[in-house]
This record gives sequence, C-alpha cells and structure tokens, in this order.
Amino acid sequence: MDDRVLFIEEDENIAAELSTWIAGQQFRIQTACSFKTAAPHLNGNHTDIVIADPYTPGGDGHLLLKRFKADNPTKPLIIVTAPENTETAMTAFKATVVEYLNKPINTLALDIALQHARQRLALNHKIDSYTQKLEDLHYAQNLYQQLFDEVPCYISVQDRNFRLTAMNRLFKRDFGNEAGAYCYKIYKHRDTPCPKCPVAKTFEDGRRHQTEEVVTSKHGKQYNVLTWTAPLRNDDDEITQVMEMATNITEVRRLQDHLTSLGLMLGSMSHGVKGMLTALDGGIYQLETGIRKKDNGRIELGFHRIQQSSARIRKMVLEILFYAKSRGMQHEATDVAELAEAVADAVKPMADNNGHTLVVDIASDAGNFEADTNWIQQSIVNFLENAVDACTDDTEKNNHRIGFRVYPQGEEMIVFDISDNGIGMDEETRQKMFTLFFSSKGSKGTGLGLFISNHIIRQHGGRIDVTSEYGKGTQVKISLPRFRTAESSIARPLLDGSN
Amino acid sequence: MNKKILVIDDDPAVLEYLTTIFEDNGYTTCSAKDAFEGLEVAKREKPDLITLDLEMPGDWGPRFYRKMSEDQTLKNTPVVVISGLSGHKYAINKAVATLSKPFNTDELLQIVAENII
Repeated sequence: MDDRVLFIEEDENIAAELSTWIAGQQFRIQTACSFKTAAPHLNGNHTDIVIADPYTPGGDGHLLLKRFKADNPTKPLIIVTAPENTETAMTAFKATVVEYLNKPINTLALDIALQHARQRLALNHKIDSYTQKLEDLHYAQNLYQQLFDEVPCYISVQDRNFRLTAMNRLFKRDFGNEAGAYCYKIYKHRDTPCPKCPVAKTFEDGRRHQTEEVVTSKHGKQYNVLTWTAPLRNDDDEITQVMEMATNITEVRRLQDHLTSLGLMLGSMSHGVKGMLTALDGGIYQLETGIRKKDNGRIELGFHRIQQSSARIRKMVLEILFYAKSRGMQHEATDVAELAEAVADAVKPMADNNGHTLVVDIASDAGNFEADTNWIQQSIVNFLENAVDACTDDTEKNNHRIGFRVYPQGEEMIVFDISDNGIGMDEETRQKMFTLFFSSKGSKGTGLGLFISNHIIRQHGGRIDVTSEYGKGTQVKISLPRFRTAESSIARPLLDGSN
Repeated sequence: MNKKILVIDDDPAVLEYLTTIFEDNGYTTCSAKDAFEGLEVAKREKPDLITLDLEMPGDWGPRFYRKMSEDQTLKNTPVVVISGLSGHKYAINKAVATLSKPFNTDELLQIVAENII
C-alpha cells in the first residue's frame, strides 16, 4: 500500500509542484497551506509521513508537530525550513526527525529523505509484526507451560535411556524434581528398566502405548496409574524423546475394589442366607410336627432352633447393613464399667449354654471414655462370641474359661482383654483373621464380623494385639484411647487401605 | 427293614432338620458333617440314598462324589444334591436330583421316594 504523505507548506505553488512530484514516487499526497487546515490530518490514522515547515502560519507548528511525534513515534517527520531556522528546528525536534531540509527544496534531497522515511516505516512495520509474534509466542509458551504444569496427570518426557528430561508440577510434587534420573528408579524404585515398558515400545514403533502400573511416590505411597505414551519427533521426523502421561486412578480402583467386594459379599451372603433360611425351616418343621404330635420336647427344640436361626440371620443382616454404608462414629462420653457390664451380660447366656465359665474383672477405676457406644459394644461382643466359639470348637479340654478384663493403662488408654483356653489359631488363621470374607467357621461365619470389628476399633484410634496358639487358646487385647482422636469422627470407607 | 439315608451337611441345624424329616417318614438315617466323614460313614453304613451339600469345609461335595463313584459298593447309590450354591445343577451331573436351599419338604420326600433303591 502506498504510504500517505501530509505536506504542510505555505506557498501554494511550491506545494502544488512538489506534490505532483511526490505523487509520482508512489505516495498518496495531501497538502495543507496552514496548520489550521492541516490539523484534521495531523494524526496517525490519516498520515504516515509528514513533511512540514514548523514556521508555516495558522497555529503553533512546533507544538502540533511535537504532539504528532509523541502520539506516533514510528511515523517519520521531515522538516523543511529556511536555512536560518534550521538550527532552531534541530534544537527543538532533535533526532525525532528523519531529515532536516533547507528551502528552497532540492528534489534530490527530498527524494532521499522520503526514501529514508519509507525505509523507516517498513522497518517499523516489521518490528511491530515481530514484536506481536514474539508476544504471541511468549503467550503460547506460557499457556503450554501452564497446561503442562496444571494437567491433573503426571507428565514426564524421557530420552532413550529412560532419563527424565522434563516433568510437570504434579509429577515433581509426588515423585520429586530430579531431572536426569531414571524413570524406573523414580516410579518403581528399580535399578533396571521395567519389563514391557511402554516408553521403550514407543521408541521402537513410534506409536502410542497404554499400560496400567502401580507406582510408588517419594513419600512411599502406592498409586495405580493409567499411562499413555506419545513420541516426540525432531525436524527430521526422528523420535528423540517420548512423553509419558500417567493418570492417577487409585481412587477409581479403590471404588472398584469396594464394588467387587460388595459383589463377592452378596455371592457369599446368598449361600449363607440360604443355609440360614433352611435352618429356620428346620425349626419351623420341628415346631409344627411337635404341635401335631403333642410332643413337648420337640416343640421346645423347634422353638430353640427358630431362636438360633433368627439370631444368626439378624446378625448377618446387621453386618451387611454396616458394610453397605461407611459411617462416621457418634462419639459420646461413656462409662467404661457400664459398657463392659452390658457386653458381659450379652455374652453370658451364650457361654453358659455351652458350659463355659465367663470370668469378668472390671477395674473400679476404669472411668469414662469417648466412644460410639453402639459400635464399640458390638465389636467387643464379637470378640467375646468368638472366644466362646473357640471354646466350643475345642474338644480336647474339659473345662473352658473365657476371661474378660477391663482396666486403664496409663492416663490415656483403656484396655479390654479377652482371653480363652479354646482351640486357638494357627499362624495362618491369625494373620488372616481380620481379612474380609475370611472365616474359619465354615458356613456359620460370614467373614465380616472381625473385619468390621477391626475397622471400628481402628476408627476409634485403637489397636488390637492378638496372641494365639493352636490347641492352647487365644488372647485379644483391645486398647482404646480415652479421648477421641482427630481422624476418628471422619467417615471412612471400609476398604481405604488402613484396615 | 427301613431304607437308610445318609445326610451330609456341615450345618448342624440343617443336618438335624433333614434327619428329623426322614425319620418322621419312616427312614433310618445316618449323618456326616463333612465330605471326609461322609465317605467313611457311607462305606460303613451302605446307605440306600445320600443327600449331599456342595459347599463344606475340608472337601467339596463334587470331590466327595468323585471318590464315592470310585468305590464299587457305593457308585450306584443315588445322590440328591441339596445346596445353597447357585449353578449347582452342573456341579454333579449324575445326581438324581438337585434341590436348592431352602427346599420344599414334600418335594424332597417325593424325590427320595422315587429314587431310593
């Protein structure tokens, strides 16, 4: 596009003559014989180059030209004055002016001045566009860096030796900021590359690969991650690096585990429930035929069996209800002795029925503690019932004794000590006793009782110590803090890994 | 002489239920609480029919059935499966009948009457 020239000259003849010549040099020319008529054009929107004599009448030429230069620093200004004014003009405008020309105007000098102006304009245009591009680039770079850093995945870039060359913020947070370290060292704490490495595959075939891995953070936490790899190529289309993006799916897997266990549980439940219903049918049958035969012994037996079955069904349903819902504990100040007596009363009939002695010893200085009474009671009853079962299952000894001691330990702890001289556990059973669905009781157990009891004690900030010897007996020591811990009031899913 | 039925189930309540039903209906019974004991009792008592639970500690019902089939004196004894497991119809294909828990008493008695040798 032709640059627009504004020519401010008092002498109309000179103006007309020179403007024809200037137009011939591929400029669009506008003339004004005074600053008054020039004023509307004296701005960057209308004019690219100004040729002016600041002494032209009709306004303060110096002021108007200086203002134009101040507003449009990139638009060239050529000053044309009588020789005696040149020095004053030079003092006033200094280097903001491209050329100072003397009147009368030499067309050759004007031509050179205009060419300079035109070059200056072109240069300024270029600088403008480069600056804009640089700014865009800077913005884009910032944006990509931000994207790289803020993406909720672990991103690392690796070379052929699996050395990390770049990592994003999340990666640095969980796996450290050690550029140059080996991927397998950082992610898996290995000394050699992992077998079936997706990064190695991408280096080989240039395609994306997906795997699921278990990695260990710098804090020792294990995460399930879904990894995607992508090749990074240089200008010659050679793969120089591979980007690995790992999404933390630990939560998803945890939920999946929970659902799987729920499914498993329903499966194992359904078998147990069917057995219990059959046993209930058995009781009803005894009762029914007993009434028909007027056989009191059979009526009593039937009634007893129905009682037993309904207790079993009730227990299982309660366990399922507990399991199906993760809950916070409802802590309240509780009298330890009162709770312990209630627990002992609940278990006493069961011990008596089976011919075992229950020895209860509750310290007089047991005091109070903060606990969810319902669940703690249920949990301790569970351990006591197991002690009774362990005695019943033991056919070697004649006299069975279940001990239930409750006493304070230091200022902070209450201990519930449950011991029996029943059948005891082998090492394998002892290790698995708190595992979900593990039961040593065949179809009588659900594998939920101790799992839940353990969970309740832990949610109270307590601990369970078990010693046992097969054939000799078992001792379970449940230690509970007197005062609630910060974490104990938070609802936690049963399968949160802390069980 | 009364026909004899061997009841194998690990749940004592169910064991008691089944033996009572059979005795009330004129059968002699013997019982076992697991597959291992079941095999011993079967060899000793030579029952005319066996009812078998599928899921028991120690040894599974299907394995009991295989071992029983290897014994010449027992292999033709009819077996009625009574189980709480789903899909049990395929677990022992030579069983004369399969009932799922909880079962119907009349149906059980009819099956026993039809199949007992």
